[in-house]
Amino acid sequence: MATHFPALLIVIPLISALFVPVIGWWKKGLCYPLVVAVLVVPLISALGILNRVIESGPFSYYLGGWAPPWGIEYALDYLNAFVLVIITAISLIVSIYSKKSVEKELPEKVVPFYTLFLLLVTGLLGIVVTGDLFNVFVFLEIASLSCYALMAIGRDGAPFATYRYIMMGTVGASFYLLGVGYLYIVTGSLNMADVSKLLPPLYDSKVVLTAGIFMIVGIGLKMALYPLHAWAPNAYADAPSAVSGLVAPLMTKVAAYMMIRVMFTVFKPVFFIEIIPVATILTWLAAVAVILGSIYAIAQTDLKKMLSYSVVAQIGYIALGIGLANKSGLTGAVLHILNEAFTKGCVFLVAGAIVYKMGACNINEFKDLYRKMPFTMSAFLIGAFSMVGIPPTCGFFSKIYLIMGAIAADKWIFVAVLLFSSILNVIYFFRVIQIATFETPMPDYGRDKAYEAVYMDEVPLSMLIPIQIMAAGILLSGIFSSKIISTVIQFVIPVGF
Amino acid sequence: MKTIAILIIVLTGGLLIYGVEDMPDWGDPNSPANAYVSPEYIKDSLKKTATPNMVTAVLADYRGYDTMGETTVIFTAGIGCILMLRKKRKGEGA
Amino acid sequence: MLEYIVSKYNFWAYVILLLIGLYAMVGKKNLVKKLIGMNIFQSAVILFYVSIGVKKGGATVPIFLGDAHAAHGHAVIDAASYINPLPHVLMLTAIVVSIATTGVALAVLILIFRRYKTLELDEIMKIRKDTGV
Repeated sequence: MATHFPALLIVIPLISALFVPVIGWWKKGLCYPLVVAVLVVPLISALGILNRVIESGPFSYYLGGWAPPWGIEYALDYLNAFVLVIITAISLIVSIYSKKSVEKELPEKVVPFYTLFLLLVTGLLGIVVTGDLFNVFVFLEIASLSCYALMAIGRDGAPFATYRYIMMGTVGASFYLLGVGYLYIVTGSLNMADVSKLLPPLYDSKVVLTAGIFMIVGIGLKMALYPLHAWAPNAYADAPSAVSGLVAPLMTKVAAYMMIRVMFTVFKPVFFIEIIPVATILTWLAAVAVILGSIYAIAQTDLKKMLSYSVVAQIGYIALGIGLANKSGLTGAVLHILNEAFTKGCVFLVAGAIVYKMGACNINEFKDLYRKMPFTMSAFLIGAFSMVGIPPTCGFFSKIYLIMGAIAADKWIFVAVLLFSSILNVIYFFRVIQIATFETPMPDYGRDKAYEAVYMDEVPLSMLIPIQIMAAGILLSGIFSSKIISTVIQFVIPVGF
Repeated sequence: MKTIAILIIVLTGGLLIYGVEDMPDWGDPNSPANAYVSPEYIKDSLKKTATPNMVTAVLADYRGYDTMGETTVIFTAGIGCILMLRKKRKGEGA
Repeated sequence: MLEYIVSKYNFWAYVILLLIGLYAMVGKKNLVKKLIGMNIFQSAVILFYVSIGVKKGGATVPIFLGDAHAAHGHAVIDAASYINPLPHVLMLTAIVVSIATTGVALAVLILIFRRYKTLELDEIMKIRKDTGV
């Protein structure tokens, strides 16, 4: 059983996604318990895989018994197992949250919603766990198609935002497929480990250079890296709450994982640092993304759109860490993936809770929200601390590693960019907290007017507990971050950094 | 909008044309794509999978996982269309 | 120079097709025309893959025609007389993915039409700016 964890990870959500419509159209109330029960199995499998990788090192799993490169293999190493645990944990927490939110926002579409939810999780897991270049494309399309359909049923502007996402996302996936085709022409194989062995003699070939650039641009489109980010703010803002709670922490970070794989496993790091200066260009684009994302976020009045611009800025951090291509930078980037998963999950679920209670999330109407929803807003406060980088949250540690990476690469301008963006994050997050905590909706005439008691009106428990678990996750991953780095992330860095 | 389109076309086209030069000639039987993995598919597929059609042997046996993914894609698209387009009829439960 | 174009003319053909598709996706204003551009773009990538697998010199389709039962385990199949089956397999999946994406995009277009009553990009942007959506 334990040896088949990699296969169970994909197969169980996939087969259950076929059962959910059957059971759901018979009895609608059974969907939700089935989905939550099913999503526990990938979490256990991912923890088992991480355990095995920590104890005995990376291993592989041949699908169908065919040895690579004639068959498809799963190559599980430290980076894989780490991202798998993150994906399974976040999807389980969001699925527990989703019941009340979906009932309020999409009452008659519960059954197809949960089917696509499971398929989205399957797609994301499949991208991370596989070791075959074309398999990544197939699962990328599964995740993307379910993402498009789930996003299109949101609030008013959602179909148009989703259409723009479809156009740009398909271009990204097709560019990635084109890059894989170019690699296939010159090496003849589709397996990641195999291609990385066959490529070094061919590094001065123009075809390999074109392949590398196409793959990076394609993955950058999926990752919402500036200047290919135009789809992200509207799409994440207008999606239903449970969907943005699942997609915003995960989808772009899985694309960042793919970029780490392509840059450091398929192509050796020397290719993207010296032969074509993609890493340098990546750092400059990332710096622009960080500053511009934060500036746009300050200008927003809608909470979800502000958080979506924040996603674009945080992807800039991860890309900066990848592009710096040294030990601290890459450690900071991988730790920031963990941080982003919990932080963005927490704040988007808080936004969903606010939408559940108030119907919309215009920041100027948040007055006295802290009294009405204290637990939710304290979780938002922890998320804001993590975004700005205040200890002991995880955001502080990942920012420290990114700054150390920038110093080690002798690029002081990026240190300035990182510190300045922390100030910008303070501005837009603490504005929300200030309006929610300190401003009351009472007009200030006549102090003799009796103070109207504000009752606590929290969201239901099935939404509140996942938010608190996410906030606890932010704190725990910050407190244990050095242990996480020494056990897992340290081995992700390629040799020679 | 048209200027951005022209710019993207020029950049992409330039990169693609730049990459054509080092490619193997069309139809070369000794190019790496034709000489590394696929001769084994051609030679051994009848023995190992008892299927005369080599494309089927690769599709359903060696790379059957991709085919499973592909059927899942169709299913996802179908459920996605149901999710987006189904209207609740009046007087009927969902 | 001419020999350089002639010996790789399959690549030139797909490059031109890809650029036409990409221009339609970015430059056209009607949403349905963008979708058709996306289809052309994906077809170009598919054609490129399929053209890799050709072998000159009399290679035929990758199906063993002959008595399969008698040959099972006995015949020596010459790799140079059958074309490469792997790109065909990959592109069967890619064609299916392309159709599925087109289907989902068309459903989204129906949702857009229900909401904005038009499918022209500039009219939709105007409505979005006017109503603040």
